[in-house]
Amino acid sequence: MSDVTSPGWLIARQSARFVLRESTVALLSLMFVVLVLISAWLGWSATSTVNHIYLDAAAFLQSAGQPVPTNPVLDISPLSLMRNMSVYVALIGALSAIVIGNRLVGLDRKAGVLPLIGIRPLGRNAYAGGKIAALAGLILGLAAVASAVAVATFLVLPAVTLTGLQWAQLAGFMGVTTLYMGFFGLIGLAAGAAARSETVGLLLPVTLWLTLTFIFPQLTANLNPTAAINPISALAVPPDTTFFHWAARLLGPFSLADAYKFASAGLLDYLPPGITSPSFIPPVINLILAAGFALAIAWRALTRLSMAQGDYNV
Amino acid sequence: MPEPMIRTNRLTQSFDGVIAVDALSMEIAKGEIFGFLGHNGAGKTTTIQMLTTLARPASGTATVAGCDIGTDPLAVRRAIGYVPENVRLYDTLTAAENLVFFARLSGVAAPERRVNQVLDLLDCTYLAQKRVGGFSKGMRQRVGLAQAILHQPAVLFLDEPTSGLDPMGIKMLRDLILRLNTEFGMTIFMNTHLISEIAKTCTSIAVLSHGKLVYHDRIEAVTARYGDDAALEELYLSLTPVGRLAEVA
Repeated sequence: MSDVTSPGWLIARQSARFVLRESTVALLSLMFVVLVLISAWLGWSATSTVNHIYLDAAAFLQSAGQPVPTNPVLDISPLSLMRNMSVYVALIGALSAIVIGNRLVGLDRKAGVLPLIGIRPLGRNAYAGGKIAALAGLILGLAAVASAVAVATFLVLPAVTLTGLQWAQLAGFMGVTTLYMGFFGLIGLAAGAAARSETVGLLLPVTLWLTLTFIFPQLTANLNPTAAINPISALAVPPDTTFFHWAARLLGPFSLADAYKFASAGLLDYLPPGITSPSFIPPVINLILAAGFALAIAWRALTRLSMAQGDYNV
Repeated sequence: MPEPMIRTNRLTQSFDGVIAVDALSMEIAKGEIFGFLGHNGAGKTTTIQMLTTLARPASGTATVAGCDIGTDPLAVRRAIGYVPENVRLYDTLTAAENLVFFARLSGVAAPERRVNQVLDLLDCTYLAQKRVGGFSKGMRQRVGLAQAILHQPAVLFLDEPTSGLDPMGIKMLRDLILRLNTEFGMTIFMNTHLISEIAKTCTSIAVLSHGKLVYHDRIEAVTARYGDDAALEELYLSLTPVGRLAEVA
């Protein structure tokens, strides 16, 4: 059997393998998986605690001949148990994606192998496509682990049964999560390819991540930094002042952390009634547009990367 | 007359308005070991970068192994091997892992087998399972040469291949270059500073000064006209601008 495969696929496979050997990437990915497990445990623990208290209280009320109210666990959507996951995705998931994207191209530039790759019979498009495919594979891998944890949580919780629609909503949430992490991964990839130095290549996307996660939500929804990463308080109604009115209008479409939290809240059924996104673009569309834009700039940066002068030490 | 293996026609490159290679026109026949001489910054590396398709020329054309560098870069890349001045590899991988990766990218069938063959050819099978990070300059140069010949290219580009090597390393590399040329018929394009190596290895030479080609002839013609190695050095120095000599002094 021939061992020859397409150059783009070879670049993708090799890049993914190299990146997974990086201790920073492995550590951040592990931290993301651990936090996803914690978020599932927190949801399970909170539900179990409330359920146990209710059962004890119901038994007491029954023995006292008192009327027993309905179980509060049944009053909320079981999907909302996963709301903490959206916080961890916005924090560590996005950061992991940036580092993965940055290292995918940064490893080649740091190793100084670009000229040796550049003289192989593969086009710049194959190189760019390979790097983006590697990123997609790694982000999908992280999202798959998070999905597996979420599915396992719902399957082992005895008091919770999801309907077909709710399973679809969960799938939608994981899709939105992949899109959000993909956006940051592509920004990391673009900066890793375009920046002259390794440090700037990492600092630029991290600064963007900090801005989108902590600064824009304050301007678009008047949130304090703690509330900005909390999925419930973050959905508080903004004050009705001219500044925030215009800030929300102008920055709303760019406030991607808000868009992700609104999309997540809608899909996981924890969006308080009457709360609307500060952006005039629907949150999911907003995320798709942002990911498309990030894909375009990552493609441009990768296809313009100089194979002769692109190494960090040149 | 056979088609030359490398042909450049007014090949020009400039960076920020400064001309690095100025309308370079020359031909190199199949099977030659071509020595490209010139002072630092003369444009030798830039010429190699254009001929290996790593950089696009500002103007002019060139063909390598009959393929146009501008219109058919992939065909050029299939026909060439390249060893940069400082061979850089993935330091965390072994020599064999690095070579298998580059063999696959070059479309080599059964890459593991081919890597073993090439390491055997270069007498460095002992390096195969060692991580490149701990390699000396000479070891890197050998692995660098190995990655360049994995796919049996018709033309091999070497950028200052003896730079930083000790006399043993230089002799080893010279022997390998001669072997690749005689046994496998590879045309070799070599940038170098070492005039003594030119006389021992090359079949033709050219001198580049400030991007311009100032001399190009077969080595027999050079030695017949100027005599031994010392005379060759005299020739090179006479072609190097006075200003540059003063700068070096």
